[in-house]
Formats: sequence, C-alpha cells, structure tokens
Amino acid sequence: MLIPRRVKHRKQHRPVRTGQATGGTKVSFGEFGIQAMTPAYVTNRQIESARIAMTRHIKRGGKVWINIYPDRPLTKKPAETRMGSGKGSPEWWVANVKPGRVLFEVAGVDETLAREALTRAIHKLPLKARIIKREEGDA
Amino acid sequence: MSDDNKVIAEARESFGKGAARKIRAAGKIPAVIYGHGTDPQHVTLPGHQMLLIVRKANQIITLDIAGTEQLVLVKDVQRDPVLSIIEHIDLVVVRKGEKVTVDVPVVLEGESAPGTISNLDANSISLEVSATDIPERVVVSVEGLAEGVQISAADLELPTGATLLSDPETLIVAISTPSGPSSDDEAADAASAEAGAEAGVDSE
Repeated sequence: MLIPRRVKHRKQHRPVRTGQATGGTKVSFGEFGIQAMTPAYVTNRQIESARIAMTRHIKRGGKVWINIYPDRPLTKKPAETRMGSGKGSPEWWVANVKPGRVLFEVAGVDETLAREALTRAIHKLPLKARIIKREEGDA
Repeated sequence: MSDDNKVIAEARESFGKGAARKIRAAGKIPAVIYGHGTDPQHVTLPGHQMLLIVRKANQIITLDIAGTEQLVLVKDVQRDPVLSIIEHIDLVVVRKGEKVTVDVPVVLEGESAPGTISNLDANSISLEVSATDIPERVVVSVEGLAEGVQISAADLELPTGATLLSDPETLIVAISTPSGPSSDDEAADAASAEAGAEAGVDSE
C-alpha cells in the first residue's frame, strides 16, 4: 500500500476540497484513464483496491499507472471520547482529488478490456468518474 | 495534412472574463493570433468547427478575418477538464514554406512477437518541418519484434523534409514480456477471500 516514508508534520489540517484540478487533467502516459468528476479523499486502501481490480482483470499484458499519491494524513478521535484533549491520532492517508484529475492510466490492452478494467477500478473509488481516451491533439 | 481548414473569424473588440464568457455562451471560442513580430490580434472562432479541427495535433488553419486571409498554426488549446469545452485557443502566424517546430504524435502499428507487449515511452517527438507540410503522425511498426528490442528517436523513419529536434537517444518503444500478478496481488486476493469467508460471503 502507498504510504509516505517520512513526513514533516504527523497531523495536518484537512485538505481543501473546493475547486477543480489544475494539473494532471490529461492522459499523459497511457491510452485510457480514469478522470474524477467529483472531489474526494481517496485513501491508500482504495487506491490499492482499484489497482488490484484493474491488474487482475487485465491479467498478463498491459501497463497501469497510478497518478495520485496519498500524502495527506487524516486524524480521528477514538469512539466515545469527550471533546478536547488535543487532536486525534492519524487514521488514514489520503490523496486530495479534485474534479478533472486523472487518477489511473492504462496502456497496452485493447479498448474493450481497458474500459472494463477501468470500470472495475471506478467501482472501488469514493467518487464519480469517467473513462477518457488520449487524443492526438493532446500530444 | 488537410488543406480544407478554412475558418471565418471575427475580430474581437471586447476583452476580459465577462466578454469571454458571453462569447462561449454563444457557442464560440475566444482566440488570439500572434507571431512574426505582429501585434496580437484577438478574434472569435466558431465553436463546433474548431472543436473538430483541434482533435488532431498541429493543424494549419486558413483564417478569414474580415476578408483578409491569414495562415495560422494551432499553438495551444485551453480546455475545461470537467466540462470538456474549449475555453481559448492560441494561434501562431505562419508563412508558406516556413519551417516550424512541432510535436508530432507517435503511433504504433502491428503486433510484436507473441507473449510480448510494446510500451510506447514517448508519445510525441519534436520535429522541424515545413509549415504547410506537417505530418499528422509518425508511424512506428512493431510487427514481429522480439523481447528486449528498443527503438529510439534516431531509428524512426521521419517524413521527407522533417528534421529531428528531440534527443536522438530518446526511447520511443520498448518490447517487453508482461509480468504476471505480483505477490502483493496474491496476498490481497487471499486477504479478501478470508474476509469474505468470515463475513459469510461466498467468494467467486
């Protein structure tokens, strides 16, 4: 699972969820990609789950890219705890995804297989997404 | 490259985001023309026609601005990533016979040897070509290539009159054997099957 090796601050503020993605909005490495349509915090478990769903469907052949990284910690207070006494302990590592961001890319497989694999990956993610194809004009 | 990209453009007098939004609401696209030391010229282009034209890379367009014809090259296209609409287009003035620098897409053709896959490492290469003779794509044949074969930019068959500007050693295509599911995948499969069994769910 993706997890930062070392961080400057163990507990951070919650990442800003407003706005659209300003970079990483095109398919840059592969032929097809998953583009987020809604904002979300995507955890490292969800990224791993989506990757496994995709690679298992593609089996041998093809190449998968993960374009996001879960580098933001989210904290949680234990259940039935009174308010106060400081910030909770880090519970999840998330990638702050904004609409327009390309999350995963695939290449080296035919379009039908790629779309099916990406659809399976979308089902593992906590956001609305669509499958996009590289256009020649994007080169 | 098709020569029938004739577009009627209107000179634009109003600027700023308010005016640009009105233009987009009317189904048109704000654009700017510059290059060759000329003053920037602001124009409005027909939305649907331009959408079809810019689907291909490096399109040359003959603009008709109030009766004056102007040859331009699509330099940059700004799109809204969510709505998939074109927000603005940058056009650069070109002259017939002039050499221009463009990024041309690389396309693979054929199937490599059975059991191998072809990885396209560079999706485009930088070429210097005549403005009126820009290739749509550079085709690389991987038919029957065996594992371990690497094609670099210097090995490409370039269109006549084109000069390679990218580093000749840039890797374009590599033929490799795909790896099977990793140990991580197998461990995750086992874990999910175990979790399913605990929850009383039949695994596939």
